[in-house]
Amino acid sequence: MNRVAIIGTGQSKHARRRDDVSQPELIREAVRAALDDAELTPKEIEAVVLSNMELFEGRMMPELWAAEGAMAVGKPCMKVATGGTSGTSSCIAGYHQVASGLFDVLLVVGFEKHSEGHTQTGMALTDPFWDRAIASGALGNFALSISQLIEERGVTERQAAMVACKARRNATRNPHAHLQIPDITVEQVLSSPMLAQPVRLLDMCPQSDGACAVVLASESIARRRCPKPAWIQAAVTRHDQPFLGDLDRRLAAMPTLRDAARVAYDQAGIREPLVELDVAEIYEPVSYAELAWYEALGFCNEGEAGRLIEDGVTEMDGQLPVNPSGGVLSTNPVGASGVIRVAEAALQLHGRAGEHQVDGARRALATGYGVYAWADVMVLGSEP
Amino acid sequence: MSDTVEITMDLSWRYASGEAMGRFCAGLRERRIEALQCDGCGRRYLPPRPFCGRCRRRMSHWVEVKDEGTLVAWTVVHLPILDGRTGEMREAPYGMGLIRLDGADCTVNHYLDLADPSRLRIGARVRAEWRAELHGAMDDILRFEVLS
Repeated sequence: MNRVAIIGTGQSKHARRRDDVSQPELIREAVRAALDDAELTPKEIEAVVLSNMELFEGRMMPELWAAEGAMAVGKPCMKVATGGTSGTSSCIAGYHQVASGLFDVLLVVGFEKHSEGHTQTGMALTDPFWDRAIASGALGNFALSISQLIEERGVTERQAAMVACKARRNATRNPHAHLQIPDITVEQVLSSPMLAQPVRLLDMCPQSDGACAVVLASESIARRRCPKPAWIQAAVTRHDQPFLGDLDRRLAAMPTLRDAARVAYDQAGIREPLVELDVAEIYEPVSYAELAWYEALGFCNEGEAGRLIEDGVTEMDGQLPVNPSGGVLSTNPVGASGVIRVAEAALQLHGRAGEHQVDGARRALATGYGVYAWADVMVLGSEP
Repeated sequence: MSDTVEITMDLSWRYASGEAMGRFCAGLRERRIEALQCDGCGRRYLPPRPFCGRCRRRMSHWVEVKDEGTLVAWTVVHLPILDGRTGEMREAPYGMGLIRLDGADCTVNHYLDLADPSRLRIGARVRAEWRAELHGAMDDILRFEVLS
C-alpha cells in the first residue's frame, strides 16, 4: 500500500438551521475551505467520496444533487451512508483509493442538513417486522446500554456531566463549533431536562446543519504541497449484526470499537495509547459514550473511565486531550460528523487548530461510531 | 435572499417477511415465541432470521422460548417517539428494556410496564403482557411487567 496523507481540511459554518444556503451551497463552503487550505485547484481533485444519510433529508442520490457543490462533476464519485460512521468510513474508503495507487488527490466531503428533513423518521425506518413496533430511537437505545454501563462500571451522572462540560468548554475555542455554552456547569447539566433516564438534555449532542471536507494525497503530492502532512498510519472499520439485542452490553463491551482499536494500534505501532497519542477526536454522541470509549480505546482499564475525567486527564491541559473541537456533543451534522473527527485530528498535526491547538501534537486518533455499534478507528501521525 | 419550501407526503410500503419471520409471526398469534438456533455456534436468535451472521450458515433449527425472562437493561424515555409503522407519535413517558427471554441468547427490546418504576432494575424478572386480540406482530406483546 502507498502512503497517504491529509493535506487540507475545511468546514462550513455549523448551526441548528442553515436556511441561508441550499445543500450544494453548504457543501461548497467546506469544499472551498479545504481546497484553499491545501492550496489546490478544483481541477487537481481526481475523485470524490461523499458522506450523507439521505433518508434524513429525504432527497435521493445526494451524489447527484451535491455533485456541483462537491466539485465532483466529470469525476469518479462514490457515496458512503453508514449512519454515524458515514464520515469516518468515507475517509477510510478514500484512503483505500489513494493507498491503492488509483488516485493521487482525492476529496472526502460529508454533509447533513437535519433542519430540512426528519432525522427521527429516517431513524424509525428500521426492520419493518421487529424494530418498528418496539423501537425507542437512538436516545432510548443509548439509555439502555448506559444503564448497563452504570451497573457494571459504576460511572456516575456527575462524571458524565463533567464530559458534557468539557466538550462545551472546548467548543468555545473552536470557531466552527455549533453549540456555544461558555459558562456551562455540572449542576446545569444535572438539572437539565431528563430525556431518557439517566440521559439529560445537556448529555446529548445537538442536530446540526453542516459540512466538512478533507483532501487526501499520495506521498509525492503530500511532500510537495503540504508543509506538515497528517499521515494515515492506520484505518480500520468494523461492523456487527443488525438487531439491538444481538449485541448486548454495547457500551460496556463494544467489541467492534475494541477490535478496531486493537488492530489500528497494532498497525501504527502503538502500545500505550494514553502515552503515545497526543490528541484524540472521538465520536461521542452522548456524554456517557465518551466514558465507555476511554475503556474500549485502551486509555484506561475497565472501571477507571470516571477517574480519567475527574483527574482531568482528557482536558485540554491533560495528558491526552480528548475532543479539543468540542466533539459531537457540540456539533453533529451526522454525515459530516465523522469527517469532522478526521479533519480535526489532521488539523492538530497541521498545527492549524488555532485556539484549540494541542501544542506539539504529533499523533492523533479519530474514531467513528454508529448507534448499531459500527465502529471506525484511524490513527494519524506527523511521520508516515 | 434564500427562501424555503414545505412538502408533505403520505407514503406507504409493503415488505415481505421471508420464511423465518413469517413463522415467528404466525407463532405470536398463538402466544408462542420461537427462536432459531444456529447449529454451528449454538446461538439462539431472536428475532429469528435465515442466516447466522457469525457462522455464515443457514438456520432451520427452531426452539421455543418462554414469554418470561430477565431484564438486562432499562430506561424510562421522556420524549415522544415516532411510530415507524403509523407515522404517529407515541406518547411519553414509556419504559423500555432489553429482556433475555428464558431459552434465548439475544435480548429483546420492548416496552416495560411503568406502574411502579421503582421496581425497574437490572436482573428483575419480567413477563410478557399479551394483547387480547392477537394479530401476528411484535406488538401482540403490549409490554413486559416486572414480577420481582
